[in-house]
Amino acid sequence: MSARGRSFAAGLLGVGLALGVLPLVGLPAFYESFLYLVFSWIALATSWAILSGYAGYFSFGHGAFFGAGMYTTATLTTALEVPFLATLPAAGGVAALLGAAIGAVVFRVKRLRGELFGLLTLAVTFVLATIVLNTRIDGGPGVYLSAVPLPRLVSSPTGTLYLLALGLAVGTVGMAWAVAHSRLGLGLFAIHDDEDVAEVEGVPTLAYKLVAFTVSAGVAGVAGGIHAMYVSYVTVGETFSITVPLYVVLMSVLGGARHWLGPAVGATIITASLYAFTGGQQAVLGRAVVAFVLIVVMLLLPEGVVPAILRRWRAWRPQRDAAAAAESLAAHGTAANAVAGTSAIGDRHVVGMGNTIDDGHPRAGTTPALECNDVWKAFGGIQALRGVSLTVAPGEIVGLVGPNGSGKTTLINVVSGHYAADRGRIALGAVTLTGRPAHEISSLGIGRTYQIPRPFAHFTAWENVALAATFGAARCSPQAARAEARAWLEFTGLGRRAAAMPHELNLHERKFLELARALAARPRVILLDEVLSGLNPGEVAGAIRLIRAIRERDVAILFVEHLMRAVLELSDRVVVLNEGEVIAEGSPHECVRAARVVEVYLGKAHVA
Amino acid sequence: MPSLTLLGQAVVSGLLAGGLYGLLALGLSLSWGLLRLVNLAHFALALLGAYLTYQLGVAFHLSPWLAAVIIVPVFFLLGVGLHAVFAYFRVTEFTSLLVTFGVTVIIESVIQWFWTADFRRYETPYATASTRVGPLFVPTLDLLACLTAAALALATWAWLRFSYVGKALRASAEDPAIAAAFGVNHRAQAFLLSGVSAAYAGIAGAFIALISTLAPSQIWAWVGVVFAVVIIGGLANPIGALLAGLLIGVSESVTMVVVTPAWAPLVSFSVLILLLIARPGRV
Amino acid sequence: MLEVRRLAIAYGDAPAVWDATLDVGAREIVSVIGPNGAGKSTLVNTIAGLQRARSGELRFAGIDLGAIPPHLVCRHGIALVPEGRRLFTRMSVEENLEMGCYRGEARRARGETLDRVYGLFPILKARRRQLAGALSGGQQQMVAIGRALMARPRLLLLDEPSLGLAPAVVDQMFETIRAIHAEGVAVLLVEQNIVRALEIADRAYVLEEGQVVAGGPPDALRQQSRIQEAYLGLRDGGDGT
Repeated sequence: MSARGRSFAAGLLGVGLALGVLPLVGLPAFYESFLYLVFSWIALATSWAILSGYAGYFSFGHGAFFGAGMYTTATLTTALEVPFLATLPAAGGVAALLGAAIGAVVFRVKRLRGELFGLLTLAVTFVLATIVLNTRIDGGPGVYLSAVPLPRLVSSPTGTLYLLALGLAVGTVGMAWAVAHSRLGLGLFAIHDDEDVAEVEGVPTLAYKLVAFTVSAGVAGVAGGIHAMYVSYVTVGETFSITVPLYVVLMSVLGGARHWLGPAVGATIITASLYAFTGGQQAVLGRAVVAFVLIVVMLLLPEGVVPAILRRWRAWRPQRDAAAAAESLAAHGTAANAVAGTSAIGDRHVVGMGNTIDDGHPRAGTTPALECNDVWKAFGGIQALRGVSLTVAPGEIVGLVGPNGSGKTTLINVVSGHYAADRGRIALGAVTLTGRPAHEISSLGIGRTYQIPRPFAHFTAWENVALAATFGAARCSPQAARAEARAWLEFTGLGRRAAAMPHELNLHERKFLELARALAARPRVILLDEVLSGLNPGEVAGAIRLIRAIRERDVAILFVEHLMRAVLELSDRVVVLNEGEVIAEGSPHECVRAARVVEVYLGKAHVA
Repeated sequence: MPSLTLLGQAVVSGLLAGGLYGLLALGLSLSWGLLRLVNLAHFALALLGAYLTYQLGVAFHLSPWLAAVIIVPVFFLLGVGLHAVFAYFRVTEFTSLLVTFGVTVIIESVIQWFWTADFRRYETPYATASTRVGPLFVPTLDLLACLTAAALALATWAWLRFSYVGKALRASAEDPAIAAAFGVNHRAQAFLLSGVSAAYAGIAGAFIALISTLAPSQIWAWVGVVFAVVIIGGLANPIGALLAGLLIGVSESVTMVVVTPAWAPLVSFSVLILLLIARPGRV
Repeated sequence: MLEVRRLAIAYGDAPAVWDATLDVGAREIVSVIGPNGAGKSTLVNTIAGLQRARSGELRFAGIDLGAIPPHLVCRHGIALVPEGRRLFTRMSVEENLEMGCYRGEARRARGETLDRVYGLFPILKARRRQLAGALSGGQQQMVAIGRALMARPRLLLLDEPSLGLAPAVVDQMFETIRAIHAEGVAVLLVEQNIVRALEIADRAYVLEEGQVVAGGPPDALRQQSRIQEAYLGLRDGGDGT
């Protein structure tokens, strides 16, 4: 565990112990009850946020898992007389299983994001409620747990539940912190910003979402199990009501769904506010107020309370932070510079790249780096690619040109795994790529940029590149990834902009960020999609130099471009596509003069 | 195995109940399909309309038809107001789900505040009236609801199909930029549509008051079914919404008769889940 | 009639057009040619009101187009045939045509204009009730042109009309454009197909990387190696193929 992790764990345990001592020194039952609820909601909201906040898959089904846990405990204790404490792992297990089952089906369907996912999880809750209501699990009258013995950890019964809930809350917050600072968390945050790009950068999106959902469900299940004892009379109506799904969303959104502490803060605020309204008509008013707050928060403070506070905090102490940031950047910088050499685009001077960063991939020799063999792809009725075959040799720069709609971007999307080819084979060296998910293709060594840059909006430039280093072919550890990222940012001339957010960069910088990100994954072949479009002539010249520098690092390049003079300058070979077919291939000047090509671009009369 | 008469009655009840589903789904289908905003508060509005019909009838002795005359324009304005909020904050499709989630709870709380959580039944002279068709009973009010649903669905379909505004709405939903290039004012239309959708909710509410028992929690009882109907029928497809409603209604009531009644809600939610997973292309 | 002065247009902060200046007279056919990504579509879309310019002037018959809301631009007599047709695929051919005259006095003259459009494109009359999405590329292009004509424009904007069409169909289409022009409609044509574009034009402009780099009568432009350079990146001096 890192130093930061150790200090966090110590702090968390300290808080937990301090709170845990309270019932022992005699806390009035009212407060015990209130704090129990706070802890329970902290656990629920924090667990919800692990998938829904971090990855952005807003689930309205947290109530299903909570209810599953409640009824597991209720059934096991009453019908099978299992000791209460032993039922808690079971409650968590059942809920986790349910989450895994749902996720395994739903996450495979690309369409089911956003509001459809929310709708589906809501529907699952109702289905579960109906099943529970109609089978012997509940059957209608509810389940009484008053006769179930509760192990006395402290003198009062609520005290025991208090401690259990506290333990769960502490554990959940700790887990949320750990996830946020792990590869899993990094991947989830990336999924939140742009799932398709995350997949292409090497994040195993399906696996990560599944893990997050399962863990989240499991915690909710345990919380439910404890709560069954608290209420001691479990009914379907109360358990599967809209309360749990609504409140966890609200609490997390209020506190800040992307931050590990946000849901906990939100839970505390909301529970405290609600406790002010006790019973009867006022509970109704309480709900209305809570809902109103949700609306206001969704409209005005989309990021949440905790991030807003953090931003204010940082703004307050700019000198401290800037100095610290500069320090850490410099520390990374000196190490990286020694390795990468300087190449600032503004300097118009590219120092030769040393090959001291060992890329660990053996030279392929004469086998092509990338080979496409008879690739076909259709969308609906439109045949976008018709038997396209081309090769890119190691260290080669191949230009891919053709009129609008000829299939160039489709080819890149198929090679990188965004779409699956209908027919044909694509291979990287000796390894077949066709049929593999995009994140595998990426870790095998294919990198790509997008015509319109798609950086992860909530990550700084540095973090964007570091993510690619973490998940790409290089598979770096977090520290190594940061150094790698630094090096690649320097390489593309963005060193000074490392701490900037993507929306603060201009188009040219964002395009180069794309490039740095693609390179940080240590690809063997990089696919560039119109990287020069939108750049002014000066920037274009710089970009051309950069692309040459990339080739010198032994990366093969396939680039799509409309700017003919760039294609002529850069390419070793050119492939011309038209209506999904390759119509010419060869040296740039040959192709450009070939009759068919001229005809396709300029019209018949120009030929001859 | 239930008798033929029982099955027949189930089919009839199912058709009638389905009509009400269709009526409720109509407004939602329009707003979701043409505006690309998910209005979860549609159900709460419908139930609010139901309670208002009830209140106007019980406290002011207004017949439901008169009550509807008052409620419909008011709800139209409510819909316009709701959309004004959406437009001002540039709410996206997904955020609209969350915001209307909140609005739903607020409306539910308002209802509970004024009318408490007790069940309410709007007793009208025609509540027990029914016509006999052979061995089958056809309750009058349910029949009326179903016929109204059919009439509204047809009228809406005709409006979308034949009127200029309707065509503009359809064009705008498909390609707002090009529609604007030919003169369609998307903003103004969005307000109109939101108002109409809310007005439909009000009409549905009037029938809910006449047919069902009222309780604040009823809002959530309709959510699953109606979303299923909207998705099965296809967004912005009024006739589709009606037919899907009838289909779901019949399958539910037949389930109730063949198996036990309490399993019925399972049908609609399960169909919804299956459809969400299996249906190709965008909803 | 149409005056474009130093127009600058951007997508977000990605500049697409830096400095465009051109004119279209009331009786002219003007072509804008240039390679992909030069900004031709952006320029045309901005004239039609789909986008707002960052800076510069855009006047039509003396009216400042930048000052009026997008959905009212067509009222002044500008109609667009967008790149890729962009028909309302879920509506019928006739409904698409009707959408063309949604606004203003054009709607009153609907019947008469519809007859004229069907006269120009008889095959559309036969398929009037078919869904627009079911038609072939060439037929869809006819619908797109017909839709624009229904607005009774004074200026017709055509964005890459020959894209994706077979040569024979393209021939027909350019004949139609000539016919439309003969009836008194000014035309601004954006085309990748240089030959056709220069053949039909009274005057032409070359748009390269967001700037108008040349303009004049077609013959003069044909001579320039500029054209070859712009499209194929060739830098041989002199003229010709």
